[in-house]
Amino acid sequence: MRDSIKNAVSAILFTIIIFGFSVGNIISPDIDISLSERRALAQAPKFTINALLNGDFFNELEEYTLDQFVLRDRFRDLKAFMAFGLLRQRDNNRIYIVNGNISKLEYPLNEKSVLNAADKISGIYNKYLANINAGYAIIPDKNFFLAPDNGYLAIDYGKMSEIMDENMANVKYIDIFESLSIDDYYRTDIHWSQDRLIGLADKILAGMGNSKKASEIDYVQKALYPFYGAYYGQAAVKIDPDTLIYLTNAALENARVFDHYYKEYGSIYEPDLFYGIDPYDVFLSGQKPLVTVENPESTTNKGLLLFKDSFGNSIAPLLLAGYSKITLVDLRLASSDALDEFIDFSEYQDALFLYCTQTLNNSYSLR
Amino acid sequence: MVFSSINFLYYFLPVVFLLYFTVPSRAKNLVLLVSSLFFYFYGEPVYLILMIAVSFSGYLHGLWINRAKDGRYAKLSLISSLFFGLAPLLYFKYTDFLIKNINFIFGLNIPALNLDLPIGISFYSFQILSYTIDVYKGNAKVQKSFVNFAAYVSLFPQLIAGPIVRYTAVESELVCRTHSFRDFAYGINRFIIGLSKKVIMANSLGELVDIMARSNEKAVLLYWLKAIPFMLQVYYDFSGYSDMAIGLGRIFGFCFPENFNYPFISKSITEFWRRWHISLGTWFKDYVYIPLGGNRNGTGKWLRNIFLVWFLTGFWHGAEWNFILWGLYFAIFLSVEKLFLLKVLDKTPAFLRHIYTLFFTLISFVLFNGNGLSECFHNFRGMFGFLDISFAGAETIYYLKSYSVTLLIAAIGSTPLPKTLVTKIKDNKTASIVLNIFEPLVQASLLLLVTAYLIDGSFNPFLYFRF
Repeated sequence: MRDSIKNAVSAILFTIIIFGFSVGNIISPDIDISLSERRALAQAPKFTINALLNGDFFNELEEYTLDQFVLRDRFRDLKAFMAFGLLRQRDNNRIYIVNGNISKLEYPLNEKSVLNAADKISGIYNKYLANINAGYAIIPDKNFFLAPDNGYLAIDYGKMSEIMDENMANVKYIDIFESLSIDDYYRTDIHWSQDRLIGLADKILAGMGNSKKASEIDYVQKALYPFYGAYYGQAAVKIDPDTLIYLTNAALENARVFDHYYKEYGSIYEPDLFYGIDPYDVFLSGQKPLVTVENPESTTNKGLLLFKDSFGNSIAPLLLAGYSKITLVDLRLASSDALDEFIDFSEYQDALFLYCTQTLNNSYSLR
Repeated sequence: MVFSSINFLYYFLPVVFLLYFTVPSRAKNLVLLVSSLFFYFYGEPVYLILMIAVSFSGYLHGLWINRAKDGRYAKLSLISSLFFGLAPLLYFKYTDFLIKNINFIFGLNIPALNLDLPIGISFYSFQILSYTIDVYKGNAKVQKSFVNFAAYVSLFPQLIAGPIVRYTAVESELVCRTHSFRDFAYGINRFIIGLSKKVIMANSLGELVDIMARSNEKAVLLYWLKAIPFMLQVYYDFSGYSDMAIGLGRIFGFCFPENFNYPFISKSITEFWRRWHISLGTWFKDYVYIPLGGNRNGTGKWLRNIFLVWFLTGFWHGAEWNFILWGLYFAIFLSVEKLFLLKVLDKTPAFLRHIYTLFFTLISFVLFNGNGLSECFHNFRGMFGFLDISFAGAETIYYLKSYSVTLLIAAIGSTPLPKTLVTKIKDNKTASIVLNIFEPLVQASLLLLVTAYLIDGSFNPFLYFRF
């Protein structure tokens, strides 16, 4: 090819790309939500003279054009390919992949945050739970299984347990680290898979001094496919989706779920939410500050207060084997100072604090 | 607005191209002026007025100097132009530094003004000064068209991070310039190379520097892993920006001067400064060092001139003591090299000269990167094992492995090796044809890759904005 032709091809290609995407961006309709990134995308900013002069308008315009760029997800795929494939980076935006299992670096250990979580739990115990049988368990994140053996950074889980132990004098510890393996978690998501938790539920019930067992209950498996977990969108790499399985039976189907904030009843499982932004919302409709699950077929009168993060939503239905009702408290959404406005603590015999290591390492969202 | 943004690439640039290449020649400078003002307004709405005022001041002073010819009024006009040209720079950039030091020395508590530094003020102030000085010295003809002069000052390709384009370099092109497919293609190629250097390399290296800076790990290797990528990051960031400026300039018919010439292959600090930020070095040489007498009035005055120029060079980079120290650090090396060391180096094996230059340049960038002198010296102690810390930790080793390919590419890319390789390929007729087929495809791929990086991440600050 002669230089003159090369120059012409260069100029034409460049022009096509910048004009093509420019026109493509202008004519393509705006998208409200990115399902892969699980977030609302920026919308066109409102024009005001004030916003123009203080720079806000252009800043928001920048966010808008970035979020609404055509083929956004394909470009993110391309960047991930460059980072992993060509530059051989071990992680891309802290996301890493081991044998088709996606995880996110959680490092280093934030000792102050862990201490803050321990103080928060102790404070709740001292304020509300002095006469209640209380326990806590720490859910290892996927890094616990994936990181050390594959050369990725992992926090000092022993140190985390030690800090919790030293600062939670009246709350007994239920060690569940050894009861889990990487296979108990979704490959594309942060969470554990409910169908793998029956044994764990038994262990927690036993740890709480409850003689009932989830393994003695008959469950029916229901599968939802394809499940693209939270890490899938962040990884921007093609990986086979998971199958979201939930365990149900007549008792669970008939159980009533009361949302204390919106004062409305719902169900333990909401399969329709599988097709929303976060498919994991199938379990107890996702993140809610305060909900109570009542088991009408329970053979006990015991109540459990479950202080939890999102992991708790999927194990709560299994813990219902040992309780007539469970109230789930998400301290990221509900203030611990006002719990007595919604909860009559005399109705509960047990309280369980069940948090993932990532929540403890970033605990300042606990209110 | 920055070049490495979606809005610049996919909205601003197409519109400017469309307008610029469809209007008649006589209107092209007006298109450039209006688009440059919008470009500046986008990032600095309030300071646009300041830039127009400073440009108008430079324009008027040029006319006055020209009208007064060689008389006393010409000198007064020049002094006035220096005052009005430097006053905004001194006020916005150095007032708080002055207040801080007065407070420290006299135990006062004068509140800082906390002014935002107008983007590019260090660059366009120097360009205006070069114009009035050159008109005064008779090296440049006065520009009678305000549109042309303002277009020169505000020209968006080089407005905010250089290179410092002297008026004389584009004097004739402001009035009459040609456009060709060849220049357009060259400009595109240079622009995309610069864009890739900035977005793919500099930003990736910046991420590593940032991770190391935020790490709580205490390890000798960590300090090195902060210093070396930072040196490369500054190079890729700044030279990438210069490439983009030169490329865009060529698209619009301007030939801007080169600003970098593979500085890391230098075999002395003197050579390094002939290859690094060339437009700034030559500006200080021609407008400060030579007028002061250069090396013509004995060793004492020569050394004084060197130290003064490098004090100003350091201070130009930032209103902090570490920048001043950075400039004086180079003054020491340049003086010593000129006095005797260059003769010694000439007899030293080349690889030792490279090591000497790279090592002391690296040290200079630790000074450059420090947030205050105490942090600089802390970093030095860390690098050389005076902090009683281990050699390496888990985090350092992890990120060293993770960024090893990036660092390797960055190191090789900062040498002439890739360019030499391309030149050799072009010597072979068949290979040259193949290369010509692939070159546009590589350019298009890089542009799409840059777009992917921009969409994926928000880590995108230009380092040289703060100057």
